[in-house]
Amino acid sequence: MKTPELAPSRRALALRVLAGATLIAGWTDLVYGGISAGPLLIVAGYAVLVPGVILTWR
Amino acid sequence: MALTATAAHERAEPSYGIAAIVGAVVLALYVATLAPTTGMWDASEYITAAYTLGIPHPPGNPLFVLLGRVASLVPVSSVAVRVNMLAAVCSAFSAAIWFLVTERVLAAWWPMRWTRVVAAATAALLGATAFTVWNQSVVNEKVYTVALAFFAIVSWLTVRWCDDPDGPVADRLLVMIAYLIGLGYTNHPAGMLVGPAVVVAVLVRRPRTIMRWKLVSVALLAAVVGLTPFAVEPIRAAWHPVLNEGEPTGCTDRIGVSCTFSKTTVTRLMANVNRDQYGKPNLAERQAPLSAQVGMWWLYFKWQWLRDSRETQGGIQLFLALGFLALGIYGGYVHWKHERASFWFFGPLVLTVTFALVYYMNFKYGASQSPELPGVPREVRDRDYFYLWSYSTWSVWAALGLAAAWRALATRDGDGDRRRWLMTAPVLMIGLIPLVGNWRDASRANETATREWAHDLLNSVEPYAVLVTLGDNDTFPLWYAQEVEGVRRDVTIAVTSLLNTDWYPRGLTRRPTVAYDAAKGPAVYRGMAAPPPTKPVFSLTQAELDSVPEYLDVRTPQVFQSGTLRAIVDPRRLEYGVPLRGDLMVLQLLKDNLGTRPVYIARTSGSYITALGLEPYALVQGLATKIQPAIVAPTTDVIPAPGIGHVDVLRTRALWSGYRGPASIMARGDWVDRPSVGIALLYINTAFMLGQVAQQRGDVADAEKMRRSALSLAEATRTLDFFLPADGPPPPAGGDSAPKRTIPVTP
Repeated sequence: MKTPELAPSRRALALRVLAGATLIAGWTDLVYGGISAGPLLIVAGYAVLVPGVILTWR
Repeated sequence: MALTATAAHERAEPSYGIAAIVGAVVLALYVATLAPTTGMWDASEYITAAYTLGIPHPPGNPLFVLLGRVASLVPVSSVAVRVNMLAAVCSAFSAAIWFLVTERVLAAWWPMRWTRVVAAATAALLGATAFTVWNQSVVNEKVYTVALAFFAIVSWLTVRWCDDPDGPVADRLLVMIAYLIGLGYTNHPAGMLVGPAVVVAVLVRRPRTIMRWKLVSVALLAAVVGLTPFAVEPIRAAWHPVLNEGEPTGCTDRIGVSCTFSKTTVTRLMANVNRDQYGKPNLAERQAPLSAQVGMWWLYFKWQWLRDSRETQGGIQLFLALGFLALGIYGGYVHWKHERASFWFFGPLVLTVTFALVYYMNFKYGASQSPELPGVPREVRDRDYFYLWSYSTWSVWAALGLAAAWRALATRDGDGDRRRWLMTAPVLMIGLIPLVGNWRDASRANETATREWAHDLLNSVEPYAVLVTLGDNDTFPLWYAQEVEGVRRDVTIAVTSLLNTDWYPRGLTRRPTVAYDAAKGPAVYRGMAAPPPTKPVFSLTQAELDSVPEYLDVRTPQVFQSGTLRAIVDPRRLEYGVPLRGDLMVLQLLKDNLGTRPVYIARTSGSYITALGLEPYALVQGLATKIQPAIVAPTTDVIPAPGIGHVDVLRTRALWSGYRGPASIMARGDWVDRPSVGIALLYINTAFMLGQVAQQRGDVADAEKMRRSALSLAEATRTLDFFLPADGPPPPAGGDSAPKRTIPVTP
């Protein structure tokens, strides 16, 4: 019988790091007046990566 | 043949692929009927906000602005089309989700997959072609199609949770739902409307869920994470973009830590989020009888299945509305009877976005409602878009009702074999009625009049002019033309409704002077000496601007003197009976700019010029009225026009030759809607006026040409019966940007 995996998988962990990094980069760009990369990164973070993190959370 | 819910769901995995195809078909319909540019009302404001990453009117809609900005970066077509496509994609996505929801509901008691797919596709199409859903999906006029997408995805996740509330992904689904509700709120507060239905579903399906404090805590945390895009508002506000409504920042010059994390920022941000500017009355104070408010919902419900904007098919429209009402009720019944699990979510959702929303919105009479009651307070425009979610979800139930009718026909003499289902399938054609009946009115495929109107009005004023406007429709399109298309950015627009706020005049003083491009301007200004102004439009400091009172309690005529201009301002002719801050700001603009740069008031202002006592100084040039520093003297080319001052005939005729609005109106063959038809009337009025002048001068050919233009425009826009008072057409509605004021009554 396979032991239940309690720790997040590598993939899930990578997704969390990616989500955090994307949002931090997006917000930082926005704070510095960016109106292209910032919105793109923030939208990617909120619309794709954070949902991905939630759905892969253990 | 009924199936147990578990057995049915096991054999009925969602048809995601077909849902995608359905969504693509709906998207194709929307693309075919998509507006090629901006539209009336808030479309221009939102497109401009998205393009400049600015802040539209409260609550500021930060998520929409982010999404719109990303959409505007897609390298296809024009910026306006890109942002319009956002609305289309969101609605098409919603249609795909309604397909999945309907298919899921039918899975409980329909054994044949193909029948479920056909019925679910009918639901998707019906919801997508309901008038308001369709009409709002082909131009990004509001943020409501994005909200609809959030409603739809939360609905699907909740339906999935209801299927298996103890399953391995159930908790994650709930956390995701909470996150999406929080995120949806940053698009529009209506995003919360789906919340009560989720709570009901949870309480009915697994009440113990709310006792799981850890899960509840994580869900609340997720909702808070979803709310964080509100931080866009103070960050962007501190950069002072061209659209900075509410100015939710304490930073006056540039972004900084201390001014961003200041009490001023928090106060202004909360005022924006809570929409304090609009001063919505307490729900106990009904703005119209509840019966009238339900009547408004019903009026717009009738529009959904056959819009009939020309009001020639009233009987058929009523018949269809009653039919779809009955189908929806029947659909709700079969939903309750056969698929109780998802009913406990979807039923409360329909109730929330229908009856609860009617009560909460607390509207005055609708603009088109009960025309036999001329004196009642009315909304400035038809508010059908607020019930977009209601009609969209109702369509799912109506399609369920239709599907149930199909099933009844197919199984009348037994279980029903494939042949009988096929033979009775044409009953579903009823679901195509809105597609056919609404096409003409819902489509915006050749709707370009708003853009042309903006160009025409901006080009009516001389280089570096200050142009005073009155409300939404003579302002937002101009913002769009300037900031998105780069047209006449030398013109400073000052809208009186926003001059009543504290933040807008501050923003005007920050606005840089943009050089006039004579090559792109009207020919009539070429060769005209137009030195760029060296001073801001206001001579007052920001502190002095802030200190201008909200209104002056002056109710009798007063003298306003500035150089050689001496006007008698009659507060009794102003909207509130006293001069508001905005009126004082307009007078200040005259004081600071007359003689140094041209000052115009848009002719959409109706009798505003007369109320300010400026008629002797008023000179009509095209679609705007120039305020001269001295009394206008009549000449052969400057003729008096009672009620509007004088008309610069040569200039107006020259400008008319360059106007593209009339041709655009004729190409569509109608005006956008009745509440904004004053703009069409302005063109017609101008053409008639020029025709009369040509007639008096003996230029029979030009007189006939202008008369024909006026008549054909009036026929196309169904406004012949307006003709035509001497002081011009009625002003367009002030719109939503106008902050509400309460002026105490002086005995």
